[in-house]
Amino acid sequence: MRESHNEQVERWAEYVKNNPDKWKSRLKPFLDSQIIIARRFYKKLAETEQGKEKINELRKSATANYSAEKRA
Amino acid sequence: MSFPTPRIYYFRKYYKLASSLKIMKREIEDKTILDKFAEQFCSIVERHCKYIVCSGFVAIAHGRSRGTEDIDMILERVKEENFIELHEDLVKNGFVCVQSDDPKILFKEYLTKKGSIRYVWKDEGFFPPEMEVKLAKDELDNEQIKNRIKLPLTKLNIYFSSIENNIAFKEELLRSDKDMEDARHLRIIYKEKIDENEINRIKEKIKKIRIKNERIA
Repeated sequence: MRESHNEQVERWAEYVKNNPDKWKSRLKPFLDSQIIIARRFYKKLAETEQGKEKINELRKSATANYSAEKRA
Repeated sequence: MSFPTPRIYYFRKYYKLASSLKIMKREIEDKTILDKFAEQFCSIVERHCKYIVCSGFVAIAHGRSRGTEDIDMILERVKEENFIELHEDLVKNGFVCVQSDDPKILFKEYLTKKGSIRYVWKDEGFFPPEMEVKLAKDELDNEQIKNRIKLPLTKLNIYFSSIENNIAFKEELLRSDKDMEDARHLRIIYKEKIDENEINRIKEKIKKIRIKNERIA
């Protein structure tokens, strides 16, 4: 299972390398949608009770995970 | 005596110009939300100090197919007054810092304590994308800033840490599945150009400076 994911990563990297003018337009909707979905979700969450506190907690947790990853 | 310029000359010139405009238009349309955010932020920072963008966004800007909400930036070790000017310029241009509006607090309580601060677009109401900003903390960071580079393949007007640095950090220090995949992606994109000796040199330096210091801490 993992191996096929690795192969996919490599296949895509080869595509990017060999198609410098094409890859961006294929990837753009995927990259943008993640930001758009995250924004939409956080906006909804912020409207709920304790939503803003939860967002702050998520932020702190993201920073802590990032630091922990770097120490590992 | 001069001869009239043949029509074909004007036609070729027009065709060339139209083709260039078409390419420019496509490049602008292809820019992602992250690209626009990063270029806008970096153009402001560059007015005040040297910086690098490193880690995940380097791989993403080279086509790595994965998500991220934040971009990592390291600033050269600026003085407090320089940072205050930079912060005010960012605020004037539509950015807001998540932790505080007071640049003195940001500098003293976060940046000088080896912490990071996060900026977002003000209009988006504290939501992604984010720029995670840190000050250079050791010789390794200073070296990355000194050797910073623009990477034409990304078509972005941004200074990055070198590809060798990014690969070395991801393979030697960060080492999560995601980081190893980022490194493999960059290795494929730059396979003819990568300087393996340089990667090994940086890895040795990471072991000596970063890993040793973190064990002591």
